[in-house]
Amino acid sequence: MTATMHEFRHSAFVAIEDIQLQSALEGATHKFGTGRTDALAEVPEVEAMRDHFKKVRAATLSQLAHHLETFEKNATAAGTQVHWAATGDDACRIVLDIAQKHGVKLVTKSKSMATEEIHLNQVLSKAGIEPVETDLGEWIIQLAGDPPSHIIAPAIHKTRHQIAEMFTKETGQQVSADDIPGLTELARQVLRQKFLAAGMGISGGNIMVAETGSLVLVMNEGNGRLVTSTPPVHVAVVGLEKLAPTWDDAAVWLSLLARSSTGQALTIYTNIITGPARPTDPDGPQEVHIVILDNGRSKLIGTKYEEVLQCIRCGACLNACPVYREAGGHAYGNPYSGPIGAVIAPLLFGLDKYSGLPHASSLCGACKDVCPARIDLPRMLLELRADEVEQRVLPWWESMSERAAAFGLASPGLFKYGTAVIRQLQRPLAKGDKLNLPGKLNPGQSRKTPALAKRSFHDIWQSGELDNKNGGE
Amino acid sequence: MSARDQILNQLRSNERPAEHPEPWRSRRNFPDLAERFTQTLTAGKGEVIRAANFEAALNEIDTILHELQAKRVAVNDTAPLDGLDVTKRWPDFEWFVAGKSEGDIKSFCAGADVGLSGADAALAETGSVVVSSGPGKSRLATLLPPVHLAIVPTSILTSDILTWTAARQGQPGANRVLVSGPSKTADIEQVLAIGVHGPKRFIVVLYDD
Repeated sequence: MTATMHEFRHSAFVAIEDIQLQSALEGATHKFGTGRTDALAEVPEVEAMRDHFKKVRAATLSQLAHHLETFEKNATAAGTQVHWAATGDDACRIVLDIAQKHGVKLVTKSKSMATEEIHLNQVLSKAGIEPVETDLGEWIIQLAGDPPSHIIAPAIHKTRHQIAEMFTKETGQQVSADDIPGLTELARQVLRQKFLAAGMGISGGNIMVAETGSLVLVMNEGNGRLVTSTPPVHVAVVGLEKLAPTWDDAAVWLSLLARSSTGQALTIYTNIITGPARPTDPDGPQEVHIVILDNGRSKLIGTKYEEVLQCIRCGACLNACPVYREAGGHAYGNPYSGPIGAVIAPLLFGLDKYSGLPHASSLCGACKDVCPARIDLPRMLLELRADEVEQRVLPWWESMSERAAAFGLASPGLFKYGTAVIRQLQRPLAKGDKLNLPGKLNPGQSRKTPALAKRSFHDIWQSGELDNKNGGE
Repeated sequence: MSARDQILNQLRSNERPAEHPEPWRSRRNFPDLAERFTQTLTAGKGEVIRAANFEAALNEIDTILHELQAKRVAVNDTAPLDGLDVTKRWPDFEWFVAGKSEGDIKSFCAGADVGLSGADAALAETGSVVVSSGPGKSRLATLLPPVHLAIVPTSILTSDILTWTAARQGQPGANRVLVSGPSKTADIEQVLAIGVHGPKRFIVVLYDD
């Protein structure tokens, strides 16, 4: 999937026409947005706490190699097997190798943006291993074959009726769409059997804490506990930037994460994993693996885009963004949507493929205001636009016409001559003050492009007609 | 070059001196930790029952287990329950004592009605109970049954996650969970539903010690 300008516009138009989707987006983003405001208002000195957190994130990224090595040392001492993956393909291969070594046929997964990013499910399926998403929203979109439409609420684009239909098809049991607790209970029963039968559990990770080599997972449903406690093997795939040097840093991180995300002080479960089950533990996995994922992140350190790695994936910027709230997540053409997705996707997956995303913003700055780490997303959206011009990722015709316009606008003589020529050329297409351009050539899409006026303002001004008019009043 | 060295070298080539800020300390000062804990957990759909002392707390547990019509109960053999022979005190139920009972703990917990545990700490601000793994401390006992019942002395209450981490000592065990309510989801049309994967009820018996 990609999101060039044309593709983004097209998907956004489809989303805007979808009344059900619009009401779902409005409901969810409004609920999360007000929840966030209320939850943060309850914290003493919260603005100073956010400033502190920004400093922690910036200082951590300045010395990330050091902190990752500390994490690796302490995690290894606790019995965790640490792996490093330069690319998404490498990470998939590492996870697949572990699964095959254990002869795993069924894998349960808890919600993870990193594994969405590297398309792990496709790789596992191809190798004959069944991956089952267990977060209710993720399971719904897995059954539908859809990508997530929100970082923390992946299935907001599905209605209860669509969900009931899918559940009936999957389980053979009739269930009423209006009985949401009933739908939830059915998912519980079906997925419980998967949890108990799975040979391996795969999770993402919210925080790697270097001080103790611990992995922190937050969730409300409890699936992230089942995935990491029930099967004999647990594998976590975590982006290398999700690192807190100490537990003091992790505590501030956790104090802001759920509040910014769902408006909760903490999620229902904060699950901390420090190695596999000890010999004296009554249960727990025999092996814990952590795959530290680079996939384009390390090269951002030291650049004008380093700040984007301070992100903790709370989703607050999505809820605040006027473009996301209309366009929905799918228009972004990758798992990361909203303002953060508009910056991350071009950087991690290629500016040419996601050239439309830096423009999917009104630059209103709401995203920066709500970000717990105060990441300056508008600045980076502008930088990416500048990069597009520099790297000439725009289609040749667009970049040719932009450059011709720049050349013409820089010279009054050329401007005068050029507009005179266009005035003549537009005649067959002009209808009133609008141009009748055939669909594909019309840059305004559903709106009509205005024609050049019969006389330029400069011409009218020079003629003195305006003076006469004013004088006559 | 290994992926590890490749990644670390790339990061090191742009490493800069950085001043890590001093730890952020809690600004909370709750006059009554137990009161705040009870309020928050109750608001989050958890249940709190206050008891005057340990013996009263055991009586509350007795009442709850009977009210739930529990048959099979998994219990963690940990403070404050470790000195107690639960099979003698409550012979009406079939018990699995983590670390002591014979048999497969996973299949017992999967069919159990209640998981009974102690706690390492409790956070007043967020109404959270900290349970951890270790000898006699099962993860599945507090996870697979539909009810998680925790017996918590007020002496282990701390203000919040900041004060809890500030008081840390030594290396943690394999697993530690902060539980702040019953399992919940809003993934279907943003409608709250309780008990999707974890326990449907989270009941804390909070007693003064």
